[in-house]
Order: sequence, then structure tokens, then C-alpha cells
Amino acid sequence: MSELLIKNGYVIDPLNDIHGEIMDIAVRDGRIVESVGNAADIIDAHGMLTLPGGIDSHTHICGTKVNFGRYMSPEDMRAGRTTRKGDMHATSGFSVPTTYGNSYRYSRMGYTTLLEGAMAPMEARHTHEEFQYTPLQDCMANTLFDGNWQALEAIGNGDIKRLAGVLAWYLTASKGFAVKLTNPGGTEAWGFGNDVSCINDKIEHFNVSPREIITGMIEANEMLNLPHSVHLHCNNLGKPGNYLCTLDTYNSIPDLNEKRQSLYSTHVQFHSYGGTSWHDFCSKAEDIARSVNNKPQIVIDSGQVMFGKTTTMTADGPMEFNLYRLYHNKWSNHDVELETGSGIIPVLYRRKNLVNAVMWAIGLELALLVDSPWQCILATDNPNGAPFVKYPEVMALLMSKKYRDAEFATVDPATESRVSLPALDRELDWEEIAIATRAAQAKALGLVDYGKGHLGIGADADIAIYPIDVSSTDPTTDYETIINGFSTTDYTIKLGHVVSRKGTCSIDNSNRTFWVRPRVPDNYDMNHDPAFIDCFNKYYSMRMANYPVQEEYAVRNICIETEATL
Amino acid sequence: MKVIMEVRERHRPNLPIEAECIVPKNFVGPERTFYVWKGNKKLDIRDVFHIRRDGHANSVDKVEIIIRGDSSHIKRIGEYMDGGRITIEGDIGMHCGNFMSDGVIEIMGSADSWLGREMNGGKIICHGDAADYVGSGYRGEKRGMKGGTIEIMGDVGDFAGETLAGGEIVIHGDAGDMPGVDMKDGILVIRGDCSRACGNMTGGTCTVLGTVHDMLPTFRNEGTEQRGEHVLTKFSGDHISRGLGTLYINNFKYMD
Repeated sequence: MSELLIKNGYVIDPLNDIHGEIMDIAVRDGRIVESVGNAADIIDAHGMLTLPGGIDSHTHICGTKVNFGRYMSPEDMRAGRTTRKGDMHATSGFSVPTTYGNSYRYSRMGYTTLLEGAMAPMEARHTHEEFQYTPLQDCMANTLFDGNWQALEAIGNGDIKRLAGVLAWYLTASKGFAVKLTNPGGTEAWGFGNDVSCINDKIEHFNVSPREIITGMIEANEMLNLPHSVHLHCNNLGKPGNYLCTLDTYNSIPDLNEKRQSLYSTHVQFHSYGGTSWHDFCSKAEDIARSVNNKPQIVIDSGQVMFGKTTTMTADGPMEFNLYRLYHNKWSNHDVELETGSGIIPVLYRRKNLVNAVMWAIGLELALLVDSPWQCILATDNPNGAPFVKYPEVMALLMSKKYRDAEFATVDPATESRVSLPALDRELDWEEIAIATRAAQAKALGLVDYGKGHLGIGADADIAIYPIDVSSTDPTTDYETIINGFSTTDYTIKLGHVVSRKGTCSIDNSNRTFWVRPRVPDNYDMNHDPAFIDCFNKYYSMRMANYPVQEEYAVRNICIETEATL
Repeated sequence: MKVIMEVRERHRPNLPIEAECIVPKNFVGPERTFYVWKGNKKLDIRDVFHIRRDGHANSVDKVEIIIRGDSSHIKRIGEYMDGGRITIEGDIGMHCGNFMSDGVIEIMGSADSWLGREMNGGKIICHGDAADYVGSGYRGEKRGMKGGTIEIMGDVGDFAGETLAGGEIVIHGDAGDMPGVDMKDGILVIRGDCSRACGNMTGGTCTVLGTVHDMLPTFRNEGTEQRGEHVLTKFSGDHISRGLGTLYINNFKYMD
């Protein structure tokens, strides 16, 4: 039995209505409890901001495409090297670091739970193997369904119950956590050299449109009673004028769940572009934010871009091809049999580049214009918009108008005519930041009941203690303090153990993988479905029996079982 | 001031030693102790070199380091050098003059690979041959050497001036395969022969006074031009990557 008492912290816990109280937190055996005995270890958090452990609800840290990013960018491996120190392994890499690099740097910032944004089910083993070597965070992975032949066929036939059966089989087989759609239909069309222009184009062969895919998937997702909603990367990413497509998508989203959103729309910054070409490219964040404000069934993450070098990686193959034609840099493209694809390109976002500066402003505008922080999550789509180590800077930008103005003065002057950022006076407060970096994620992922994102009795003892004295810090002017404070915790506690102390991490082998296993009635169990088995045998290069990820790949795992209503 | 460093006889002379501490700025002012690495072992520099200091220097430009003995496996000498002079009486190991920005390195013997990698300024003279990647970039980087001069009296290996982005490389002998590949800017002169020169070049000028074997077909022949005492054929390219580079060649042979 291990006991810990955190004394006198300045606690903000939005899910339990604690809005900044000086209080003690008691921990026993990895859970938060009412009280502990006198023998408990004591941490003095006097004058320190104490929050639930951070959650990143959309990041790319593990899996085949991240790894391909690593080996096509030796210059990136050169950029962030640290030597072995105590328990810590040597690490390297800046935008696509080694797994330990990711884990240490996230832990240093107080993050204890991560969602890998896109995992091709066929290549799930690699993701799970890397999860094991991300020792300081609980991880889970979105499973890609955007071009899944069996799913597309069910949608084409209008059989949503069968679609639910297909989703259930793949989620279970890949030990995935949620349904991810990346440019739905577009990646499948890309396999034949095409793309979709918006959500009403029909895809060859299956004769379905992205709109049908999205709504069908949402319906099936709710039939399976999964913790998380459909996780969508809209069509037309990164194209001027794509905001119309995004709005059109949002307008077709039904509200099917009382507890959480019905759609998680990710890296919306890349989907809020106006104009007809890069010459008249401008921000349409206001239109997007207005739409989100009117639709409680949608939660977005901002996909903030920050200046500097990074690597873009996504399952959206056609988009990466367009990027390649823009930059003429090295690139990779990949097709995953009956499922999806991917592409990777290193990029440099420059302050003096008008397009990049507008992108930077759009991310901030979204976060400031969406009224409820529960509906706009802070993320950079790591590493697509920026490596996650930039989060503290994003927080400071959102909390300080002064800092925004100072940064705005350094970007291309023409930016001013393309964006509304300088006119926005809103400054997020401590609680809103706490919501946008942990509580909203826990709620959106449906993990509140599993002890994530809050400090109530029985919750996981994932706690971040930042060296920020809220009473003496004015976030609107002391933005340096904000950046430094959020960059390195004094203590990051994971399941009751201190895993990072002022940036020095220790070994903690309590990381777990969350995955879902929806139970479906026998007539929708794809294990015994002749058409499903037949498709597998005909088109996959892998036998169906060898396909599911074995238990050995998820050593410590938490299986969330749900009962489908079909 | 002269610092004479004589390599002691080594039990296993083929094990490389990383000696990035051997750079003139480290010998300015009071005497300090330095360490070098042999594999994962940290050694006092005096275990590897016999060091004699003549005089005293208070500015880097007054320091001259002379390296004697078998230094062919001593790596990273002159890394981040910003002034002064290093004279190597024999051969030198890999990565000599990495990132140097000023000063002179003179090598009486031959140099191993990565000579003057990513250098920004200064001068390197090598009286013997040099191995691969003279004045190049490093793995994955887009820009290599950005300034300074490298002169090689003998032959060089493959990929000389890879991703060259400034400065000048003069090779008096032959070059190997793919000199000036991915070149962005700067000047590359090869007085001997080479093969497949300047693939994917986007800028800069390369002159080959010998023969280019396996000439790349993606360069456009722009006719002949008088260059100094030579009449050379001018090529533009590499057109496969919208290149604006220029290639002057005495003789060339396309692949059969």
C-alpha cells in the first residue's frame, strides 16, 4: 500500500466544480481517496497550481507512420538529442522524437494520457509495441475506417447495423479505442489516383459519398455505445476555401448522445480556410466558430500551427501529395491494403510567410471565438501543426493579449488584412486553460468514468503540479512565467507515483493501454459472417486468423466492454 | 604560440578517437585539461598526445596547433574552429573542420571522409587525397557547406560538395561519383575527371576540366563558352528539379 498526501495546492478541477481552492489531495494505491494515514508521503504544493494530469486527445506519437517520419528525417533526429541521465534513456528527435523522448517531454509538461490520432488496423501491432515503450503515459489509439472496404460496402447497402458489426470487429481486432475517419472516402479514391472535392462526391465502386460515410459511422458508433464519438478529420484539408466543406459537414451531424458530443472534429485550423487560391487565402475561423457555438453535438480541437520546423504526417495521402507539389521536399506515401493510406512530409512554418502566419492566427482565433472551452480543445495535432513541446506557448498566447500582439508584430504585415485575430480581446483564464488541456479531453473521450481528467474520489491519481503561483501571477502580462511554468512541472504524478520531478523522469511501468470491445449479437458477429470472411480471403495479404492483435501486445491493458444496441 | 601535439604510440591504432577539443580557441589563456573519447571510454588528452606548448597566446589567431605522428584515426579535429591555424603533418581522420567558421587547416597527408562538413568560413588545404563527402552536408540536411574554401591537391571520393550552399571547393585531382549532388549555391571546381556530376542541382556553378562520365541527361547543353584559358561546354540544370545551376565541362560522355 502506498500513500501520498499533496498539501495546500491551488487546485482547479473543472469536472468537480473546484474553481481554485487551496486544498489537500490524498492518494492511496494509485487512486484519489478521502484521506490517508499519518505515514503517507507528503508533497508540499503550497503556492503551486495543481491540476489533473494533462490529456492529449489528438497526437501522433506511436505507430508505423510516426516511425517512417523518424527514418526519413535523420536531420530531425539530430535536432533534439539528450544524453542518458539516471533512469532516463538517451533520446533524440525534435518533431518526431523516439518513444522515450515523447514520453519524457510529455511527462515534463504534466501530461499523463495520450490518444494516438490514427492507427491503421492492419498495422496496429507496431502502435501497441511503441505504447509499451511510452512508459509514463496511458495510451489509446483511434482506428482508421475512412477507406475500409467492408465498412464502405455496408454503408453503400444502407445497412448501418452491419456497419456497426464491422466496426466492432476491427476495433476489437486492432485493440483500438475509437473510430477515426481521415478524409473519408478521399484516401480510398486516392488509391486510384483521385480525391474527393467535398462531401457530396461519390466514390467509385462503392458509390457512397463522404456525407453518407460520416453520418453512417456516427449512427453505428452510437449503436455500439462507445466511450468516444466518431473522430473526424474532414475532407479537403489545407485547401483554400475549404471552410464551406467543413460547415456543410457540421450541418449534417445529428445529435445522438446526451453525455458527450456526437462528433469530434480534429485540427479544425486546417479546415477553416477562405479564398480561392493561396493568393487570396484568408481566415474563416469566425464562420466555423459560429457553427460550433450553435451545435453542442460537436467538439473541435484547434490544430494550432506554431512557427518552426516540424513534420506533417497523416493518413490523408492526397493532401500530402498536394503539400509535396507546394514544397518539393522529400515525401512518402503509403497504401494500407483495404483500409487507408498515409503520407509524410517535413515542413517549416515561417513567420514571414503569409500563408503560414494566417494559419497560425486561425488556430488562435478558433480557440478564442468558440465560447465554451469544453468545445474547443487545445492541440497542435502534434507534430503536424507544431511539436507538442510548444503547448505552453499556445497557452500563453491564449491567456495574454499582450503576448499575442507582440507575436503578431513579428509576422508578415499583410496578415492583418486576412485575419481577425488583432481584434479579439478575449483572454482565457486559469480554469478555461484547465478545461481545454485536460477536462474537456476526458469528457470528449468518454474517460471521466474511467478516472481521467479530474481529481474526484476514486479517480486515477494523475496529477500535475506546476510551479505557478496563481495569486501573484497575472497571466495577461507575465506570459514568460506561464510558458516556463507550464513547460516543466514540479511534480507529475501518474497513478500515485511521481514520474517527473522538475523535468527529471523516473521509470514507472504502470502505463496502460485503453481499448474497446463492443459486444454485438451473433448475427452481426463478423467472425462467423461468410461475406466478411470471403472478402478477407480474397483481398487481404494476411489471414483473418492472424489479423487480430494478440494480448501480448497490450501488456497492461484496460478493456472497455460495451453492449451494442442493434 | 605553437602547440605541438605528437600522437603517442597506441596499442590499437585503428580504434578511432574523438578529439573535438583540439581547436585553437581551447588553447587561448591558461592551460586547461581536456578529454577525448575512445569508444565509450573517456581519456585524458595527454594519454593520447604528447603535448608541448611554446609560448602563450591571448588571442585565437596567434595559436598554431601542429599534429604529428599517426593521426589517421583521430576524428573531429578543428570542429567549430573560429580562428588560428592547425597543421597536420600526416593523415587525418573523419570530420576534420566540421562547422569551422574561420582560420586555416593544412593537411600535409590525406584526409578521411566528411572533411569540412557544413563549414561556414575559413580555409582547408589538403595536400594529399580526401575521401568521401568533402565539404558536404549531413544526413537529411538540405544545406551543407555555406562558406569558406576547401582545396584538395589530390583526388577525392564520392559525393564531394553534396548539398553545397556557398563557398568554394577546388579539387586538383579526380573526383568520384556524384560530386555536387543537390548543390544549392557556391562554386565547385574539379580539375580532373568525375562521374554523374551535380545531380538534382538547383543553383551554383560547377566546373569540370576533365571528363564527366555518365553525364546526366537532365542537363541542357547551352553551347560552348570561353572560361579563362579553356573553352568549355555550358550546361544548365538540373531540370528535373527546376534547377538554375550551371555546369561547365571540358569533356563529357553520356551513358551507353
